[in-house]
Amino acid sequence: MKIKVVTRIMEANDRIAAENKKFFNEAGVYVINLMSAPGAGKTSLIERTIKEYQGKLRVGVIEGDIAGTEDAQRIGGLGIPVIQINTGGACHLDANMINEAIVGLYLKDLDLLIIENVGNLVCPAEFKVGEDMKVMLLSVTEGDDKPLKYPLMFQESSALVLNKIDLLPYTNVDIGKIKKNSLSLNPTLKIFEVSCKTGEGIGEWAEWLQSLVR
Amino acid sequence: MHEVSIALSLLEIATGYCKREGYKGIESIKVKIGKASGVLPQALFFAFDAVKAGTIAEKACLTIEEIPISGFCNSCSSNFSVEEAYILFCPRCGDTSFRVETGRELDIYEMEVF
Ligand SMILES: Nc1nc2c(ncn2[C@@H]2O[C@H](COP(=O)(O)OP(=O)(O)OP(=O)(O)O)[C@@H](O)[C@H]2O)c(=O)[nH]1
Ligand SMILES: [Mg+2]
Ligand SMILES: [Zn+2]
Ligand SMILES: [Zn+2]
Repeated sequence: MKIKVVTRIMEANDRIAAENKKFFNEAGVYVINLMSAPGAGKTSLIERTIKEYQGKLRVGVIEGDIAGTEDAQRIGGLGIPVIQINTGGACHLDANMINEAIVGLYLKDLDLLIIENVGNLVCPAEFKVGEDMKVMLLSVTEGDDKPLKYPLMFQESSALVLNKIDLLPYTNVDIGKIKKNSLSLNPTLKIFEVSCKTGEGIGEWAEWLQSLVR
Repeated sequence: MHEVSIALSLLEIATGYCKREGYKGIESIKVKIGKASGVLPQALFFAFDAVKAGTIAEKACLTIEEIPISGFCNSCSSNFSVEEAYILFCPRCGDTSFRVETGRELDIYEMEVF
């Protein structure tokens, strides 16, 4: 027998994401989902951002990695509440993983929760986890062709942080082209240029993010 | 890259439906996959075959209908449809003030059950 069952395949994930979001809102915590390719500098940006907010905002972090606890140890070393999720092979975080992880965080004690997604330019953008906004990081050394090769993440993100600008003199990357193509994919994208090594641009990014938290 | 997760969700929705409605098995499932959804049909076929084993969908065959990106351009007031996985400009007039209406689908739309 044929039956019509028009259902979105992502429905199960989106339902749990909506539950998480409600939970975050009730606790009064602003949540960002930070995504990038492996090694673009997500953990470095989180470290820099936490330092900017010392004495200003209470920050918590969820670290998503396929395996290992290196990133959580780096953040934990700064005296910040951190939960490590090991996805055991999965190339992205999903709403269910976050749902289980937040049991270990006292959300009412936080103003901002940063979720570091698994390093991957493709699918983290597909899975909502209950965030208020998605932020994408691209290191300039990855090349200026990335917006057009991986359009979805650029389209889904509210902000694009271009990292490692200290390395620009050593590459042939055209940062204007990155910005132009990113904006044609997503005209409202907010773009920041930073170096987590020198600290350049971090202040501007941190100020903007703080204005959304409060 | 995450076609296994997609296949698992698909299986969960389909078998969950059968359990609720009292069906014993699934013969086929039809899905619509948008060209801009990030899901590759070949990888989804492969993943679905792997995850269906031992479930009531064990013998189910999957049919995938691919949906191109289409939309409406406000600048030249025309409908368009393209084969690419993304679109930057209206293919008619080159303007950027358009809205995309299809291409991001990831939907189940029909099953045969017994
Ligand atoms: N030169 C330079 N190096 C940087 C910068 N930001 C990060 N790095 C280096 O890039 C490497 C990767 O940084 P991480 O912060 O670990 O990157 P990640 O995105 O968290 O990596 P995964 O979690 O493994 O995906 C480290 O060796 C950093 O020191 C930067 O602005 N400039
Ligand atoms: Mg990291
Ligand atoms: Zn994935
Ligand atoms: Zn047009």
